[in-house]
Amino acid sequence: MNTLKETLKAQIIEALSLEEMAPADIDNSAPLFGEGLGLDSIDALELIVLMEKEYGIRLNNPTEGKAIFASIDSMADYIEKNRKK
Amino acid sequence: MECIADNICSPLGWTTNENFARVMHGESKLTRHDGKWNLPRPFVASLFPDGAIAERFSAISTDAGRYTRFEQLAILSISYALAQTHIDAADKRVLFVLSTTKGNVELLDDENQPNIPRERIRLGKSAAVIARFFGNPNQPVVVSNACISGVCAQATAHRLMQSGRYTHAVVCGCDVQSKFIVSGFQSFKALSSEPCRPFDAHRTGLNLGEAAATMILRADESTADGWTSGHIAIRNDANHISGPSRTGEGSFRALRRVLPDDTARLAFVNLHGTATPYNDEMESFAIARAGLLHTPVNALKGYYGHTMGAAGVLETILSMRAVEAGTIIPTRGFGTLGVSNKLNIISRPTSTHEREFIKLLSGFGGCNAAVRWVKDSDEASSTPIIPKADIISRVHLCSESVELNGRPVITSAKGSALLAELYKQVAVNYPKFYKMDALSRLGFIASELLLSDIDRATLDDCAVMLVGRTGCLLTDQKYQATIQHTEQFYPSPATFVYTLSNIITGEIAIRNKMHGETSFFILENKEPALVDELIRSAFADSETHMVLGGWIEYESADRFEATLGLYKRHI
Repeated sequence: MNTLKETLKAQIIEALSLEEMAPADIDNSAPLFGEGLGLDSIDALELIVLMEKEYGIRLNNPTEGKAIFASIDSMADYIEKNRKK
Repeated sequence: MECIADNICSPLGWTTNENFARVMHGESKLTRHDGKWNLPRPFVASLFPDGAIAERFSAISTDAGRYTRFEQLAILSISYALAQTHIDAADKRVLFVLSTTKGNVELLDDENQPNIPRERIRLGKSAAVIARFFGNPNQPVVVSNACISGVCAQATAHRLMQSGRYTHAVVCGCDVQSKFIVSGFQSFKALSSEPCRPFDAHRTGLNLGEAAATMILRADESTADGWTSGHIAIRNDANHISGPSRTGEGSFRALRRVLPDDTARLAFVNLHGTATPYNDEMESFAIARAGLLHTPVNALKGYYGHTMGAAGVLETILSMRAVEAGTIIPTRGFGTLGVSNKLNIISRPTSTHEREFIKLLSGFGGCNAAVRWVKDSDEASSTPIIPKADIISRVHLCSESVELNGRPVITSAKGSALLAELYKQVAVNYPKFYKMDALSRLGFIASELLLSDIDRATLDDCAVMLVGRTGCLLTDQKYQATIQHTEQFYPSPATFVYTLSNIITGEIAIRNKMHGETSFFILENKEPALVDELIRSAFADSETHMVLGGWIEYESADRFEATLGLYKRHI
């Protein structure tokens, strides 16, 4: 699980062009949106692409992503349970 | 200016009258397409049947193979509109203005129309081919300002005719659909899986559509009977590059600018009404804030889908036809009101005796536009006056060096690394910079330098007017790479949003809280006098006191240039 979280952080930094960030800067339980990393609606859409590309998980509705993308913890948890690759 | 002829070519018909008749019968060609262009997911769109444009084109030219589908459609519409006039389009006093968002973008796929030279992906090149078909000697101006392009093109024609060099302008809005555009909107989760429902409680998104529409405009408005307009405004939300302002800020500001003294004179306001949850909600605030909750409003996307660069022209023309017929076109797809403000949405044919209307548009990059047209006006004509302006700051940033107000800025890097170096020098803590595409990074850094000694609090009404040759072509190629291979088909929304050249104008507006006009023009040849004229044309709007404008070109990591100035209205 911890390896998954580290991989996920690196993938998010790459996909969302968070150039000045390192995986160690992202707290597993901190909110990704709003306060946290300051991500916006386009980032949420890009995370949907990341889920499909890297883990074979297809989310059709950005609103269902809201709870999943709350933090690294919640994302990793969802991936662990639903991943197809 | 006066509109003396028009045409609409759409899947509903090849003339304005045919389109109007079909719309009044409630018809639409919005259809579900499954497996088209090998797209993995179905979509609903209003498309021409395969081969229909080429077949039609063969009746006016034996050279169909030399023109793309996009060019054939634009040429057809312009031909039909010109045929209603005695204008010689080869006359140098005729200006061509093309409104398009993506032109020939489908040529990025090598297998698409392989006989066509790939340079025609450039909008300016394609526009030149269209203008040359009619023997026109002038360089055509391409307005590529996302979904508001069609109204911006009317503004551009109005202002450039003011110079006296042109007696007429041919304004054509045109876009065709492709795997590129549909996959991008799908990645944005913006498409509805059924025919769209503007302003309805159950709306789920937009549909895309293909069309070309043309207006022939005349500078001289000595005759009062006919359609005249001089009331056009463009404003930015300064909020987000893809999401509209929740309060309808830019749309409200544009709308307020073009309102008649007595709003009871308005037959209706034709809204953008894309049927996305956010757009329609935002527009309801703009209408409420403008005090127009009792004014009839309608939207036409339920007939045509969103025809992008054509929309502003097509919807203006249909609105004219409706006023002439004394009717308001019903909002197809609308049933139950689903926005916060109680708009007077017209859902069945309704008669009107009023002779003027407003057309509203909003687009990516945070831009909004409004135009008011009047039939048989008794108002005095309104020729735009473009005042003198002083340049109070200049920057020249290219891949090799940087100069600010004539003095070199000391840097060590070259090429794209130069932009990263300058970012660290000038803009503290704006991590959005790293999310921008190359064109936006260039424009962002150049504007940061340009404004380094300016009080940003004074920039609320500042306009951003940029002109270039390549626009966002590099980003188009980057996005194409995400959809090119079926087994690696992962369209990127973060890349797609930058496949509109005008996004950089929005980035600058957001950074500096500028709510003025924002526009992006494409010229195939960097004609300094014309570039300067396009920048200064923003001053035709008397509320514009400052303009950040210039030439911006990002060809590659080793070859780019931004030459920008800050212009201040001469007092």
